[in-house]
Amino acid sequence: MAETYPINIWINEERFAKLQKAGLEGLTVEMLAGLKVLRVPTNEAQRDEVLKVFPTAKYDSATTKSIELLPKDVKDKIFDLIVERKKIDIMEEFLKRVK
Amino acid sequence: MENIGHAGREIVERIMPKDVAIKRVAELRAAKAKEYDVRLQIATEIIDIAYGFFTPLEGFMTKADVTAVCDNITLADGKTVWSIPIVFDISEEELKSTGIQKDDTVILTYTGNPLAIFDVTDVFTLDKKDVAMKVYATTEEKHPGVKRTYNYKDKFLGGKITLLNPPKINPPYTEFWLTPLMMRERFKEKGWVRIVNHQTRNVPHTGHEWLCKGAWLQTYGELSIEKPIVGVLVNAIIGEKRVGDYIDEAIILTHDKLRTAGYFGEHNHMTSCTLWDMRYAGPREAVFHACLRTNLGLTHHMYGRDHAGVGSYYGPYDAHHMLAKVRDGLNITPTYSMNWLYCPHCGEITSEGLCDHKKEWQKFSGTVVRSIIIDGVKPPRLIYRPEVFDVIMETAEKYGFGSAFVTEDYLKRRTPVFTIEPLK
Repeated sequence: MAETYPINIWINEERFAKLQKAGLEGLTVEMLAGLKVLRVPTNEAQRDEVLKVFPTAKYDSATTKSIELLPKDVKDKIFDLIVERKKIDIMEEFLKRVK
Repeated sequence: MENIGHAGREIVERIMPKDVAIKRVAELRAAKAKEYDVRLQIATEIIDIAYGFFTPLEGFMTKADVTAVCDNITLADGKTVWSIPIVFDISEEELKSTGIQKDDTVILTYTGNPLAIFDVTDVFTLDKKDVAMKVYATTEEKHPGVKRTYNYKDKFLGGKITLLNPPKINPPYTEFWLTPLMMRERFKEKGWVRIVNHQTRNVPHTGHEWLCKGAWLQTYGELSIEKPIVGVLVNAIIGEKRVGDYIDEAIILTHDKLRTAGYFGEHNHMTSCTLWDMRYAGPREAVFHACLRTNLGLTHHMYGRDHAGVGSYYGPYDAHHMLAKVRDGLNITPTYSMNWLYCPHCGEITSEGLCDHKKEWQKFSGTVVRSIIIDGVKPPRLIYRPEVFDVIMETAEKYGFGSAFVTEDYLKRRTPVFTIEPLK
């Protein structure tokens, strides 16, 4: 799936350790002076669905071109599902669970 | 030049001594003076007027003043630069039920306790759409300043204000509440001869920190460096909040942390607050900030891009252009700042006016910064000072009901910034 509208999950040491355990640590990229981020891909339909289901979220079209301001507990759940499935393309399953 | 504020006018506090105030209220009540309980928005501006934050205003504007502000960016005298109407609104029904009319002396109360005396000299109406267009350059209600204008009641009262009962400023704001006269005393104690203002409604990342540091360097200019004589004042705007804004407590305590954690020092940095509901009037708000900060005793004022703007209503340099237009009527020097950003090549925070690694720049996006804070993931110290980030998290727990950003819950349950206690 094309990574068009990512959700940025910021990675601290605890999250990084979980990613290492799942063999996914190579998927992180560095932004802002080395701060690690996991960019979870969504397609256009999924992006719209995320913005609809979580009204605090915002698609930052001006600077980062990513979905931001998702509540922490939602991001935690997305992150946990990635670690559980040992893959990053989980948004379809995540949105099904939410529904 | 001591205690001289905007437009060359002396800062004069319009506050009655307590014993006189108690007596005056008793006399007015015996004479069956009219009383009116004001809302927070108006109470805030009464306090600002009384302490001289709005010098030379001595009260709420008359129609002549509002008209001149809208049409000419001056008061009715045609000379004094002023850009935002300061108005007291009241409904037709309230006018009838209280019987308030021109030439009345009215006791204003807040939360039921005496706050001020209002000598009403004008009762008038305004064309709100016209005011909105002239002040905000739009009539769209989604602009927060326009929305506020449309929400005003239909009649307006003008006249002088005298404070009866000083506010009790509640923690954690108490130590940061410095009136114009108090501020000038502090500056004198510190020996500062130039002070540059940093206007803020954000918690500071290192980009903000360097805005202040850059402005401090600009302000120092040709002055002697033998002893510290230039300071930065972070004057946090504390007022009406919108869901998603940073909570007031986080704004003021994080900025203060920059000094107490040593990124600045007592010799060059201070934090204070001003009670003001942001109008997001862009260029006109920039001019208002110049007048306000002159009254606080500041000599310089930093302005970045899109100062006090919202959405895409104003161009990035509109504020600079308007400041230039009214320059002769201001007594403060604007200090223009370019954006600061992180350059991985330089390995430091740098100014976009200095660094040429344009393709590598990592800019501070407000949205991304918020996203990091929401995740609670501590960024590298080059982006957020760890002490500052800790304060954000602490204030979220202590004051924000778990969030560093304003929520509906915070709006309902937050500790008020000030209270007006019974006058006795």
